[in-house]
Amino acid sequence: MSKAELRKNEKLMERSGSFSNPFEKKSRASKLRRLPIYLLTVVMIAPYYWMITSSLKSVKELQVVPPTLFPREVILGNYYDSKYNPEMFQQEVMQGLFQRYPDLKFGFFRFMINSFVVNISITVLTLIIGSLAAYVVSKHRFKGKKIIYLVIIGSMMIPWQVGLIPGFLLVDDLGWINTYWAYIVPALPKAFIVFFLTQYLTSIPDELVEAARIDGASEFTIYYRIILPLLKPALIAMMIFTAIGEWNNFLWPLIITTSQDMATLPVALANLRNSGAGNIGTQGIIMGASLITSIPTIALYFATQKHFIRGIALSGLK
Amino acid sequence: MLSPFALLFIVFSVYPVLASLRLSFMRYNAICNPDQSPCGSVGFGNYTTLILHDDRFHKALANTTLYVIGAVILGMVASLTLALALQEDTRINRVMRVVFFLPSVTSGIAVVLVWGWVFRGDGVGLLNAFLNFFGIAPVEWLATTWMAIPILIFMSIWGGAGFGMILFLAGLNSIPAMYYEAAVIDGAGPKQRFRYITLPLLRPVMVYVGITGIIGAFQIFEGVYLLFPTSVGSIGGLQDMALMIVPYLYDAGFNKFRLGYASAIAWVLFAIIFIVSMINLKITRSLEDLK
Repeated sequence: MSKAELRKNEKLMERSGSFSNPFEKKSRASKLRRLPIYLLTVVMIAPYYWMITSSLKSVKELQVVPPTLFPREVILGNYYDSKYNPEMFQQEVMQGLFQRYPDLKFGFFRFMINSFVVNISITVLTLIIGSLAAYVVSKHRFKGKKIIYLVIIGSMMIPWQVGLIPGFLLVDDLGWINTYWAYIVPALPKAFIVFFLTQYLTSIPDELVEAARIDGASEFTIYYRIILPLLKPALIAMMIFTAIGEWNNFLWPLIITTSQDMATLPVALANLRNSGAGNIGTQGIIMGASLITSIPTIALYFATQKHFIRGIALSGLK
Repeated sequence: MLSPFALLFIVFSVYPVLASLRLSFMRYNAICNPDQSPCGSVGFGNYTTLILHDDRFHKALANTTLYVIGAVILGMVASLTLALALQEDTRINRVMRVVFFLPSVTSGIAVVLVWGWVFRGDGVGLLNAFLNFFGIAPVEWLATTWMAIPILIFMSIWGGAGFGMILFLAGLNSIPAMYYEAAVIDGAGPKQRFRYITLPLLRPVMVYVGITGIIGAFQIFEGVYLLFPTSVGSIGGLQDMALMIVPYLYDAGFNKFRLGYASAIAWVLFAIIFIVSMINLKITRSLEDLK
């Protein structure tokens, strides 16, 4: 895609406007035709509503048949119950989410910390490594470049589960099971990021780089002063995708953690559910944990909405 | 400057794929590893067992096929319908677009847990509570064998339609308005405009949404793992009603510790995805040549 096309595309996205036919007038009937989509919107929101309200219900209320649509009484006990006493068993008093892991340093916060550490490390490092590679591939001439690029692109066609077993064995051999290394290092080489950034850079004229080189700028200066600023919009889009994708990652974290304290939020959530499986009383706590797991990515999405949608359009439609 | 990426890429992307190919021709489990002779190479043994004799794999394959077809076709229809319905740039449409897109950024596990509650078999299950208003007795949704795939397809559409919608919206916006204006002047009705302008011009988006949808659907794991466990140390639900390829791979590799066999499953998955994507591309190309 050329730069001009790119810009055009961006403008289109920003306008996000759409064609409405000036020759057709809206009638009441056409308004009524939109009723199904409003109903669908309710179906879309319902799970979120349920997550929030259930996490605020008491154990007693959770057991009511049929379930109550609005909490009769809003309580915070699913998160932290001040009445809870580890020495004494009381009916209808549960260990709140943040009281649940007494053996863990920081309790439930530990999973949040794990998630944030893993996520931020992967996002930052993968973008640095990826943009360096993209710069070399797009702006340098050397033997075997085409083959390297082809291998990178070709690897995107292989589902990542293909390397799952050896990847696990490798991480195990390295002694990385139950460490941050196992989360972070294997996640760093992302072919899609190199591909996307290379595509983006090829639309930028080589002369910019050539001129700097003639002026005696070092490779690193060129990367830092010229390439990175030019890549900014693409990097932001990739940052959002990577952060959200990694946050919600499940299968890999599941197999590389055997001890509770190294779990990220999704794994902790699955464990929480498996430990209390059918018990309706624990559902309030599970919903609370689900909500906490969901909020960061949703917040990131809201904060970066404009870049996000543009990024999807840029990466999806060429 | 390429070296950090190149090194990591070779060690953590290229090597595992090649090693997995090697493993797929080996017997490698809790008591055997590739260095011991009777346990070493089995030639195509893993593949012939998988393809000819493994009933659970056949079940997984059948389930996945059904799921992929349902999820991709219905998902595509849902995405396109949403895009058309929310195309006009009004405030309420913008809000609804955000709502429909929300599941794409929400943790899959969190969402699955809510659906787990919706489809609970007892009276506390939300769907059962709702049906109770109409006097319908509680249904064991997650323990009714034919229900598993439709439920997973429903969850997939709920979670993925918004993403497709965004792509279709971008595609719709790139269609120049003058095409429609010209068509209106020529007397084309809304149906004809959709059939002869919108659909053909959206074909590239459809191919993209279709192929990425197929690839994603083949890799379904979380919903099966959480909603359809089987007694102890297995996965797939009652009579393997929800067993799919990746959950079966997980089961073989990490529950049964049959690592060679699990690698063979992974390569079969790759082969299937590859062939289906190629066929998909071929069909679209030949369709384009037709005109």
